[in-house]
Amino acid sequence: MNKRDEEALLERVAMLLEDPSHAGHPLQDALQALYRQYRAQQEQLERLISISDRYQQLALEARQVTQKRYERVLRRQQKLSRISDGYQAMMRERNQALRQASTHDPLTQLANRRLIDERLREHDATRRGYTLVLLDIDHFKTINDRHGHDVGDRLLVAIAATMREELRDYDLCGRWGGEEFVLLLADTAVSEAWEIVERLRRRVAAVCIAAGRRRLSVTLSAGLSEHFAGEAPDETLQRADQALLQAKRDGRNRSLTAPPPS
Amino acid sequence: MLAMTTMTPDLDIPGSQSTPAIQSHWQAGRLAMQGDSYPENSYELFDQVIAWVRRFLETERRPLRLELALVYLNTSSVKAMMDIFDLLEDAHEKGRAVSVEWRYDPRNERIAELADEFREDCSYPFAIVPAAAPA
Repeated sequence: MNKRDEEALLERVAMLLEDPSHAGHPLQDALQALYRQYRAQQEQLERLISISDRYQQLALEARQVTQKRYERVLRRQQKLSRISDGYQAMMRERNQALRQASTHDPLTQLANRRLIDERLREHDATRRGYTLVLLDIDHFKTINDRHGHDVGDRLLVAIAATMREELRDYDLCGRWGGEEFVLLLADTAVSEAWEIVERLRRRVAAVCIAAGRRRLSVTLSAGLSEHFAGEAPDETLQRADQALLQAKRDGRNRSLTAPPPS
Repeated sequence: MLAMTTMTPDLDIPGSQSTPAIQSHWQAGRLAMQGDSYPENSYELFDQVIAWVRRFLETERRPLRLELALVYLNTSSVKAMMDIFDLLEDAHEKGRAVSVEWRYDPRNERIAELADEFREDCSYPFAIVPAAAPA
């Protein structure tokens, strides 16, 4: 029975009860009692429903508050992670920058002695073969004296860039000293290294930089030494240095291979 | 001297390699922190800072200003800073005048980006200012 039918029935009963012609009828009294009882129960039911609804509403609101609190905590946690990750990334970048700064020459961005020494020790430990090349710019001091250090620096940067372009990814090119460079050519026999160095010297000789109205270019002298099994890296270096010295004595702008260790 | 005991003492914590320098000025309504923060026990360090801020906001009606020049923060330090900014936000919502000025070395824009992340939920004045690194 729906609400409307129910109300219609109750109204009908109420009208019958009010009708004076039914007064004194034995059913009238019983129906009256039943009618009142029904109305009271109806009222109670409605109160119950209303209380229940209010409880549900409260439970719903409590859930919403919990949900909101949870979302807030979650958002906070995410924010914390995000910022913390940011600081970690910053730290990592800073470490990389420090590592780069501690292993590279700031002017030419070539490897510095530390990195080259490190790599030599690695090759030594893994018994990897290599050829070492020391290169020196011919008459660099004269350029510095005549045109100033600024021009000298620009020349160093241009030569370094050319060398980087010319070499293979796994070759290491470093700035050994003022105008001295070093190549560490892994898994490369001296005959192959010779070709690489000659090509490199030709490329570098073609590099031109402007100094006032003049254009400057330079040549390189090179000393090569192939590492021999069991030889200390320092000895290989020393032989390359000796070969470079001899190339300079022989008139510069040339390469010379060091004899095997005695 | 007795009257002094009711006052929260100011903080003047010298910085170290892993902890920021912290100075509070109750009279001026100012709290300043500079440097890196990755302390071994960040709760011990920041609890006193948080307590000072809480106490100031509860006791005083005057404005509170934070002057920060923080560089690196580890996770627990990030959490502590978020707690402090939340305290300021609550106070601000109750009508208190609070503000933050975060100075950073313009050579390190990352710091500004991270400070901006902190600022996200703050409705009070929160300035992120490029400035020379503190000596």
